[in-house]
Amino acid sequence: MRGADLLGLPVVGPGGEELGRVLDVRLVQDGPLLGAFATLRIEGFVVGHHRVASRLGYDRVDAQGPKPVWWAVRALARRNRYLRWEDASVTAGGVTSSRADLEPVPAIR
Amino acid sequence: MAGRVRDLALHLLDRQVLDTDGRAVGNVDDVELHVPEDGSPPYVVAILTGPQALGPRLGGLLGQWLVFLSNALARNQDEEPGRIGWELVTDLGSAVTVAKSRVELGVHANEDRAREYLVDRIPGARDAGS
Repeated sequence: MRGADLLGLPVVGPGGEELGRVLDVRLVQDGPLLGAFATLRIEGFVVGHHRVASRLGYDRVDAQGPKPVWWAVRALARRNRYLRWEDASVTAGGVTSSRADLEPVPAIR
Repeated sequence: MAGRVRDLALHLLDRQVLDTDGRAVGNVDDVELHVPEDGSPPYVVAILTGPQALGPRLGGLLGQWLVFLSNALARNQDEEPGRIGWELVTDLGSAVTVAKSRVELGVHANEDRAREYLVDRIPGARDAGS
């Protein structure tokens, strides 16, 4: 499987309600050790509707400026949500969440 | 202890790959994931680089054209993308650094073929730098 295959997949809730699309895949570097580094393991998905706004990262990282861009992108990305891997069922056609109430996207420290 | 957090599109895709001498090898055009059979989360096992990785990601006519052109240069309809195993990664920063040289990695077959079949045939190309 390729990582980019997951980007853009539609995400639906347990009742089939539309939650958005996979805007990004959150990876944590605590997978099996390969060489000098632990591998990047999938922890969850950033789910929302505005791919370009999300790609700038203002919804996830501690970036403050330029203020007009920050404000506009934060406004577009305010409904982005986070779907944890353990709550997701992934197929080639999309992702199904076992929860309808997804949490806000955790910030990256 | 929790590991370092990275988002695939935000922090990894399109980042430059540097070899052990600091020379550009290419970009992170995609990553290969291993999916464990026990249902535990997939993890990255390789970085993919080159048109065969970028084309499907771009999609549409542009993506198809990129893959077609690359396969035509390779004279192989099933050309695979350049693959750099995760075990070779030595640093993940604003660029990804790997522990082999560009030549040892051998992920530039298309560039070499383009030079051989196209660039070198342009009159005067072999005089460059002389």
